[in-house]
Amino acid sequence: MRDTPPIIHRLQKKRAQNFQEGTVLSYTVLAHPPKTFKGQRTIGLIELEDGTRVLAPLLTRHPAIGMHVHPRMRLSYVTNEKLRVYEVAYESPVDVPASVPEGSAILTRGFPGYILALTGPSGVGKSTVSLLLLQTFSEYIAQVPILTTRAPKESDEDEYVYVSKAEFDALHAEGKLAAATQIPSLTEDRWYGYRTSDIEAIWSAGKLPVVITEMHLLEQVANHYGRRSILSFGLLPPGNSKRKMLSALLHRLRQRGRDTEEAMQERLKNAEADLAFFHKRRDLFDHLLVNEDLESLMDVFRKNVPGLSEA
Amino acid sequence: MNREISLIGIGQTKFGEWWERSLRDLLAEAILKTLDSSPCTPLDIDAVIVANMLGEWTDDQAHLGALTASLLPHHPPALRVEAACASGSVALYTACALLESQRAQTVLVVGAEKMTNASGDAIQVALMGAADSEHDQPCGLTFAGIFALIAQRYLHDYGLTREDLSIVSAVHHRNAKGNPFAQFRQEITVEAVSESPLVADPLRLLDCSPVSDGAAACILSTKFKSPLRIRASQVSTDTLSLTERTEITSFQSTKAAVERAFAEAEITRDDVRALETHDCFSIAALVNLEDLGFAEPGRGIEIYKKIFEEDEYPFFLNRSGGLKACGHPVAATGVKQVLDVAKELQTAKLRFGLAHNIGGAGATCGMHILEYTNA
Repeated sequence: MRDTPPIIHRLQKKRAQNFQEGTVLSYTVLAHPPKTFKGQRTIGLIELEDGTRVLAPLLTRHPAIGMHVHPRMRLSYVTNEKLRVYEVAYESPVDVPASVPEGSAILTRGFPGYILALTGPSGVGKSTVSLLLLQTFSEYIAQVPILTTRAPKESDEDEYVYVSKAEFDALHAEGKLAAATQIPSLTEDRWYGYRTSDIEAIWSAGKLPVVITEMHLLEQVANHYGRRSILSFGLLPPGNSKRKMLSALLHRLRQRGRDTEEAMQERLKNAEADLAFFHKRRDLFDHLLVNEDLESLMDVFRKNVPGLSEA
Repeated sequence: MNREISLIGIGQTKFGEWWERSLRDLLAEAILKTLDSSPCTPLDIDAVIVANMLGEWTDDQAHLGALTASLLPHHPPALRVEAACASGSVALYTACALLESQRAQTVLVVGAEKMTNASGDAIQVALMGAADSEHDQPCGLTFAGIFALIAQRYLHDYGLTREDLSIVSAVHHRNAKGNPFAQFRQEITVEAVSESPLVADPLRLLDCSPVSDGAAACILSTKFKSPLRIRASQVSTDTLSLTERTEITSFQSTKAAVERAFAEAEITRDDVRALETHDCFSIAALVNLEDLGFAEPGRGIEIYKKIFEEDEYPFFLNRSGGLKACGHPVAATGVKQVLDVAKELQTAKLRFGLAHNIGGAGATCGMHILEYTNA
């Protein structure tokens, strides 16, 4: 491969137009690329949004035909004349976490094994959305049970696993939790978390784990598995201002009728922090959705979650 | 063809790794054997067409026309043609054009490549010259990588497995057992192919034709007659880069060339009894069968399975061993395929045979139909 300054110059000038999202049409892993590039190299044939096709490096560990990819500029190599050559590489918005156990069925499913996260303030409808999501795509996804130290409530669905504070602490100390947080409450000391074994069991069964979560847990899951291991959706109440969103939440909480007025006020206060969190940690979210129409939400998932498009 | 063109002489070196022989030595050996097998004398050669792709890379040698002509006593007009792996068939096409235009009456065609002079890495980079230097090369793609992209998509679209691909190489190796000119004459098992080292996922080492040295030559004439005739000579082209094609699991150039070749030879697909296709990688052998119209898309493997399991050939298919087992000295291959078809027609007393030669990922397709009139 020739890499004289005029050739590099022409290449660099063309790079910008390839900085688009695209779809993988085919891919290969080269065991022995030219010596300029070190180690293995994954190359994809990618159709970009404007219809042009490019051959470029794929940064995804487990590429698949049909995978949606995003562009990323990176240093490719340095020439003998010390020219720094940059290239546009492509990566999936989500990647398989290094901790997916070898031989997991998820690795043969044709889409990466990542974690689907659904975050939102209480009352926004996370449970309703997740219930519909799990029903619609039951073959593809499964909910990760939430480990909690609080006492069971009548209104709980079967999404909780109840443990004592001592058990919780033991698991935490042994590093068997992917995330753990204390959510303060007026009435009790409550801890919540996810067990890594639950998440791995879902991957092994060939499904995508879904975590219904809140801001601290989301941050921790992202730290534990890596941000790219999570396809993260934020769920917002309808309304184009904070005041309208909060009033929509309050309306829903009242309709639900589970909480006392005092508890509702507390939830609303937390919700305010949650809404601010969407803004402050925008980097933790791939998509922010407004929960207005459940059917159209399902279409959004179908479109944006690799693997669900066939469902 | 507007003239009756006879194939009056053939000759080739054994393909392999010939460290003790230079490009010139290979050319000389193939030419000498060809002249020996033909009714004409060296002085009857009106023109020489040389096919070579990598002379500058492997031997620091350009100007191969005059170099080759200097091997003959009378220094006839000579020119070199290059169309990557299709150089050989493009040389034959050029020779036919000279004969049809009556510019020449007897033409020597020789294809030669001396690949083992360069390191494996250098050859890999040099071969990428057959792809698009602006679209394909900068990302670090290799030729095995290009066919791996095709294979990956093909397996995905048609639901084939890795083991299916392995059958193709196993059949070609079995075929080469009886070919004294083949680089590899031993059988290999399907498992051996599947377990060979990974080159470019999903392609493995034994899916790929080897790096080889070799030369193949023939003499075409309108003046001297033989029972072997060239009934069609066609070349068609496509874009160099996969990025500029709408479909990557078939080659438009093959489809275009084969229709024109059948029209020119005035025969149908059913008349073809011997077929040599360009199986530079196992996946190419399947794509070729489909593009040539001998199988529906995605079903080329059925023909190979039948051959593999029942030893039953619907027609002679890469009986020489194909590129996989014969070796693939790039520009010699297109000429060598015509030699093999000629030998198959003569030995088995068959009438029509077809040689299919592609350059790059089907950016050039050269096709020749031969007739054996004593069949």
